[in-house]
Amino acid sequence: MAQFWFYVFTLVFFLFDYFILAMGLNIQYGETGILNFAYIGFVAIGAYVTGAVSLPNSVGTAQQYIFGFNMPFPFSLLAGGVASMLLAVVVAAITLRRLRTDYLAMVLISLSLVLYDVINNYVRLFNGADGLYNVPQPMAGVLHLTSNAFVVFFACVTGVISLIMWAGMSRITRSPLGRTFRAIRDDPDVASALGKGVFRYQLTSMLIGSFYAGIGGGLLIQFGGSFNPTAWLPGETFVVFAVIIVGGVGNNVGLLMGALLVETLLIHLPAFLPDIPGHPGLIEYIDAMVIGVMLMVMLWFRPQGIIPEKIRRFALPVGELLNRDGHSVEAPVEVASTVTSATSIGETHEGNQG
Amino acid sequence: MMTYQDTVAPTGVGGPILRCDGITKAFGGVNAVNGATFEVPRNKITALIGPNGAGKTTVVNLLSGAMKIDSGKVQLGTTDITNLERYKIARLGLMRTFQLSRELGGLTVLENLLVAPKVQAGESLFNIFFRPRLLKREERQNLERALDILQTYGLYDLRDNRARELSGGQKKLLEISRGVMAAPSLFLLDEPMAGVNPALIERIGGYILDMKAQGVTVLMIEHNLNVVERICDNVIVLAEGRTLATGTMKELRENKEVVTAYLGEIINAGPGH
Repeated sequence: MAQFWFYVFTLVFFLFDYFILAMGLNIQYGETGILNFAYIGFVAIGAYVTGAVSLPNSVGTAQQYIFGFNMPFPFSLLAGGVASMLLAVVVAAITLRRLRTDYLAMVLISLSLVLYDVINNYVRLFNGADGLYNVPQPMAGVLHLTSNAFVVFFACVTGVISLIMWAGMSRITRSPLGRTFRAIRDDPDVASALGKGVFRYQLTSMLIGSFYAGIGGGLLIQFGGSFNPTAWLPGETFVVFAVIIVGGVGNNVGLLMGALLVETLLIHLPAFLPDIPGHPGLIEYIDAMVIGVMLMVMLWFRPQGIIPEKIRRFALPVGELLNRDGHSVEAPVEVASTVTSATSIGETHEGNQG
Repeated sequence: MMTYQDTVAPTGVGGPILRCDGITKAFGGVNAVNGATFEVPRNKITALIGPNGAGKTTVVNLLSGAMKIDSGKVQLGTTDITNLERYKIARLGLMRTFQLSRELGGLTVLENLLVAPKVQAGESLFNIFFRPRLLKREERQNLERALDILQTYGLYDLRDNRARELSGGQKKLLEISRGVMAAPSLFLLDEPMAGVNPALIERIGGYILDMKAQGVTVLMIEHNLNVVERICDNVIVLAEGRTLATGTMKELRENKEVVTAYLGEIINAGPGH
């Protein structure tokens, strides 16, 4: 029975963790239109830095890594988020000023490959191809948790963190800043012509998304205790893309749905199934095919996702409905009568304020 | 009560609002703009006319920062805006529309207007999380103003429709109303009457006169000379990238050079052009 709950809460952890990752990618791609094909690199930096600051000094251990501060949770997690944001500043400086759409995507995927090779081969950074392991489980010692109990505990912690981050993200996307992001997504030239410094806003969006990526990555290494290059092959970026495309780009509830369908049910649930006799690892390949087919089907038949972006309606000021509805200006305005229509703007203002 | 002029950016007082001194722009071997020099008088409606290929839209692109000027100088009020970044020019009060309407398609009609005010407190992360009251107040003011403008432009009932769902004429109106929401001191309109029906031409003409009444200077590219004659105070004729003449429409009709280069074609083509 304990094993069953271990499985269930492992799935719950991945659901919430990928929800966080999906929110991060969504603000960049879904809200601001930045096709960040290097997203998994930001997740990895978050994971490595969280792990490296949580571990003790590497001298005398079998691993090689920088930092080694024995930093407690949640500061280690925040360090991962901040490190990912720093990477975003560098990447944005290289790419966002000059590149757009497909060219931006190509350069980003190239940067992701460069980052992958550097971390994989420069062993002194994060232990190279072996990656980091034996990363302490947050609070497990203090609360005297068994490994099964830790899974339940940490899945719940991740759930709470994801809900807080959801609240923060909703506030951003509903604000004028979120609206400006979407204006840049729809047409950066028009946004610029309206006085919006496109680079500044894209950088802001990259920073927010990278923070989410870093936190999501940090949670991954703290949950599993290890992280190595096989966990963040550049293709993993497309799993997060699949989450947001299937769930619904631009809709946070859709992202949770995407995380449930793609990450939890399609990727992690089958990992617990027994192998097909005589075909070890076949389930994993079938999984990848199913995700690919699902992505194509969604893009073909329902590109807006299962739960599409909502139309944002505004609560009208008090008395607004009484003042205006049924009085839409449909009649042609004569050139000669313009002074009347000009003054009507001021009159309506006064009416509203009263 | 906040009036329209309260929000107009300061660009110096008196004198022309825009001075354009010998600007040039070449694409490969083609000199699209070849030393255009003109002034746009403050608080007037000025038309920029000329044959196709005269460089009118390129001039608008150069003035608004969408393209880099090869040589020459542009001054908005007292500020040199030559090759300033596009968004900085917009923040100084120069707005523009596009020849083919460019709506922010995924946003609603109302959101298209709400995004327009150039600097908003709600675009700062700090304010979003720590100054919610300021945001609420600002958003309410912007909402009231946007609804006023939408009502004036006959788009009020469409406020919750996505902008991409509008018809061509409605998109024209949306683009102009979005520019008005941004409270420009100088509004560049690139063929606002192109492809719209005669009734809508009347309405748009009315809106442009409204803008002038509220202190906005307008520079518009227009081929419809009836409209130019009726609403424009001043006309600049551009030909082959150069300023051919400036004056009122009446004066230009008597200018042989202008008649040969541009007006002659239209007069010969018959009325309604």
